[in-house]
Amino acid sequence: MREVVTIQVGGFANFVGSHFWNFQDELLGLAGDLESDPTFKNHGLNMDVLYRCGETHEVEGGRGRLMPTDSFAHGRRLLILVSPCLQGVLTCTPRLVSVNYQGSLGSMSSSGTLYNQPPDVPPPVTTWKGALSTQRSQRRKRNLFLQSLYEDEQRQSTGVDNGHADAQDEIRDKDIVECLENEVQCWTDFSKVHYHPQSLYELSGLWMDAQEFNNYGSGKDVFSEGIRGEEMNDRIRFFVEECDHIQGIQVLVDDSGGFSSVAADLLQSIADDYANTPVLLYSVRDPGSYMRYKGRKMNISRDLHDAVSFARLSSFCKLIVPVGLPFLSGGKASTYLHVNDEKPYHCSAVYAAALHSLSLPFRMDLLGPTAISNRISGALDVNGIVQILPGPRQNMVAIVDSTMPAHSLTGNPAEQPLLSKLQSLTPEISEDAQDLQSVETLVVQGALASGEQRASVSEVQQAISAAYGEAMTRPRFCHLSVSTCPLPIPLPFPAIFSDAVGQRGEILGNPNPDAAPKTSLDVHSIPVAARLRSSSAILPFLSNRLENLRKFGIRRGALGGELLKTWGFGKEELEDMGETLSGMVRTLDPISDEDSDSD
Amino acid sequence: MSLRVLNPNAEVLNKSEALRMNINAAKGLQDVLKTNLGPKGTIKMLVGGAGDIKLTKDGNTLLKEMQIQNPTAIMIARTAVAQDDISGDGTTSTVIFIGELMKQSDRYIDEGMHPRVLVDGFEIAKRATLQFLEKFKTPVVMGDEPDKEILKMVSRTTLRTKLYEALADQLTEIVVNAVLCIRKPEEPIDLFMVEIMHMRHKFDVDTRLVEGLVLDHGSRHPDMKRRAENCYILTCNVSLEYEKSEINAGFFYSNAEQREKMVAAERRSVDEKVKKIIELKNKVCEGTDNNFVVINQKGIDPPSLDMLAKAGIIALRRAKRRNMERLVLACGGEAVNSVDDLTPDVLGWAGLVYEHVLGEEKYTFVENVKNPHSCTILIKGPNDHTIAQIKDAVRDGLRAVKNTIEDEAVILGAGAFEIAARQYLVNEVMKTVQGRAQLGVEAFADALLVIPKTLAENAGLDTQDVIISLKGEHDRGNVVGLNQYTGEPIDPQMEGIFDNYSVKRQIINSGPVIASQLLLVDEVIRAGRNMRKPS
Repeated sequence: MREVVTIQVGGFANFVGSHFWNFQDELLGLAGDLESDPTFKNHGLNMDVLYRCGETHEVEGGRGRLMPTDSFAHGRRLLILVSPCLQGVLTCTPRLVSVNYQGSLGSMSSSGTLYNQPPDVPPPVTTWKGALSTQRSQRRKRNLFLQSLYEDEQRQSTGVDNGHADAQDEIRDKDIVECLENEVQCWTDFSKVHYHPQSLYELSGLWMDAQEFNNYGSGKDVFSEGIRGEEMNDRIRFFVEECDHIQGIQVLVDDSGGFSSVAADLLQSIADDYANTPVLLYSVRDPGSYMRYKGRKMNISRDLHDAVSFARLSSFCKLIVPVGLPFLSGGKASTYLHVNDEKPYHCSAVYAAALHSLSLPFRMDLLGPTAISNRISGALDVNGIVQILPGPRQNMVAIVDSTMPAHSLTGNPAEQPLLSKLQSLTPEISEDAQDLQSVETLVVQGALASGEQRASVSEVQQAISAAYGEAMTRPRFCHLSVSTCPLPIPLPFPAIFSDAVGQRGEILGNPNPDAAPKTSLDVHSIPVAARLRSSSAILPFLSNRLENLRKFGIRRGALGGELLKTWGFGKEELEDMGETLSGMVRTLDPISDEDSDSD
Repeated sequence: MSLRVLNPNAEVLNKSEALRMNINAAKGLQDVLKTNLGPKGTIKMLVGGAGDIKLTKDGNTLLKEMQIQNPTAIMIARTAVAQDDISGDGTTSTVIFIGELMKQSDRYIDEGMHPRVLVDGFEIAKRATLQFLEKFKTPVVMGDEPDKEILKMVSRTTLRTKLYEALADQLTEIVVNAVLCIRKPEEPIDLFMVEIMHMRHKFDVDTRLVEGLVLDHGSRHPDMKRRAENCYILTCNVSLEYEKSEINAGFFYSNAEQREKMVAAERRSVDEKVKKIIELKNKVCEGTDNNFVVINQKGIDPPSLDMLAKAGIIALRRAKRRNMERLVLACGGEAVNSVDDLTPDVLGWAGLVYEHVLGEEKYTFVENVKNPHSCTILIKGPNDHTIAQIKDAVRDGLRAVKNTIEDEAVILGAGAFEIAARQYLVNEVMKTVQGRAQLGVEAFADALLVIPKTLAENAGLDTQDVIISLKGEHDRGNVVGLNQYTGEPIDPQMEGIFDNYSVKRQIINSGPVIASQLLLVDEVIRAGRNMRKPS
């Protein structure tokens, strides 16, 4: 088995991550559920790649033990098995380190929900005989969803099974979905996953609010101050040490503000410590982050931030994938979705679905070249992806495209083929670039053949290769991974499906455009296709950054020179960055403008 | 005001408003931290919104837990935290001192004095105080064998302000021995060579010093020994896992056989490395009942672990980078980056290596080493917040010992320095100052008294009485500090209460600088946020 360790840095990265782990938790739960669809029970994916097994130290505070369970209610939390011969409880938690502001965990304790729960009444202080003053913040209330998870667990631990409450539950699920739509503020508000106490790291002592923490400079010393950097490294080491054979580190960074410099410093130390472990980086961005800037000065600062953070982040990973459009709603990427751009809860769900699909090949067991599975095909580890995608041109910036729910392969002739429905989630790319040198990896999960019928692996393979055969421009190389397991929609998934989406993600005829968006109660799973693409279509993204860096940063008397100085960059470093960026442009476009270097 | 034209929403505070805001912010921060100070201070328990508990009596930790919004308060907090980074202690004192300087200035400014004049006075007073500090300090001779007693007294003074006496005294012994263990003549002390490890287990009094190293991981093979005596230690940074190297990753195979061959070839190169380690083990352990332990900074995959286990070797992977250095200092030998040309010279030695398991957490103890130059303080406690608090205290204790050795001097504590410096400023320096800057010196002198005053206040004593009796005793020619139990003057030398020289100097240096900056602000401009809103 080849493990993947995930790192999430920053606000929106954690939103995306929260949805991502909800999907995993749902998959784990469905696999153990006797009543679920057989596709889920036997999906051929190795979940241990992303999850670790552990054991809690002891059961504290008389909360009782969680009992083994074989009934997994839709959307509920995966429950934990207890082995009576052990002291603690066996646990299954993500191999994850999440970094965020202090206070961003909402009602969740920073030690997670499994291990050493904080007691309701603080224990007596044993280290000081003098006076004690207690400052108690108001208890953050759990929302309806978290409340229901908590109650479920209490019920399980007391061993009372109340099957008669099902009717009530149905009503409550509706309330939960509604409550999440209106009340989500933190990423923990809709997370149903148990986290390991080493997973959640809060940055304390920043003394900045989110508005101030909005550029590269504001995060520049955060990593090195005090022992923060060391603490973060220790946590990553904890998860890496456990891995018998780590295949790679998957990193999600909210690169819209100060977190990108925190992440860059963190990645630098990862590159030092785990030199041979490939790092796959997704830089994710909330549509809201595009709206925050007003005024010329802010614009310069934003442009410089984008350039600098991209240049820095890309230098410490093997493959960088920018994710996050300025507008998700109304775009082609959301034909069957009703996404509210102002809600990170909504947008992050779309990105998380794509990231989930892209992570499937890492979890497929490597079969011999002759073995064939009827569940999966196209295993590819992180190292494989970072080797294949850049291709001979060594372009390390990839575009992510996705379509959800993916169209059925055949069936309705009016529907366009799946390939043409893939829409980019990467901003600032050219739509109609024709690149004969491009390299793609495509993942299709749970595709439907027609109607509600799931397509087999070979049907998908045939359909896709036929589609490539008919396509106007073909990539130089394409790798296809197929899983028959669709994306399960967990209960806390936002209500973003249009009326045209059926229970298994099929596209229904004659939808009612005025109908309210469908929720996770109406849609149980959807097929998703996602693709990483190394193509010259990324050129505008790169050249914008290069130009801005030159215009505002490097050129003599540039407007942003002073600003960059306060961010800690000297002239030479900037020139190096410019060189890196123009190198990236040149690999894709050998005849690019050299003239802007002239001054 | 041109800014008004440019941005009608910008908020502008004029000079007196700005000053008022700064003074209030400084006072506010002082109020929060004041109760922390000294061995009679109040410990603070912070319960977060999700029920997380933080326990602290340390100004630095408390500041970091606070969500500070006010720009002035942030400025003071940053200075105080920087103080901690530089000298390891004195955060609370810095904040209190800055607050008091602002308070004293407030009185004079109310009477119509210009801040500029005060600031000039501060500057004179600061220089004089620093000179006085040089005279006042008690030199400590650090020869080859530092005076352990004085080191203990300094660290005990610090630790007793953070932990109850019995525990503080126990830790005093530990931190002094730890620093002496890593100290090398003629070299600066690197406190990173003291590992601080914690276990959520048993009680605070089970905290101990391990001469050797405690690692927070164990071997990853079921057949490896959990306890071994007389061990050779190989410290290395060599990857013992099969990995596709970047160069041949682009190699594509056309059939299954070729693929198998390639995998086998790459596997073989890893096996070769493991075999070299086993060879060395056989060479040194043959015929004896000595053991062999490999501690690797890089990974070791299951097949390699298997080979090592079969050869009777205990192997740990992914050791902390810093532990490579510590291991060599603790056990001897050297860290190797390649297994070519391994010789017995690179091996270290430990009398005992054993594993301790707590739930899913494993600890490996490397103990009974010869002449260790690195050691581990193993903190135990019943819960995370207790451990965290002891950890903070231990860090401060270590810094205090280090500072003493490097300063080659200490300062009498319990407020003795502040009383003496105040009297010196008022009785001698003020006479030499011309004009109104005198008042600045006086404000500074009075502000110094905030330390003994706060100590008295926290001990529940009457501050006026205490100050009067201390001043009186001082003027009789004695060096006096405050007895926190009785309020009577005491001789800190007799009681063994000493502070760090460098910490005091840093406080005297940075306090007036920040206070002056805050006093000389002409205008505060802030667009976008309401400053008058209480933070």
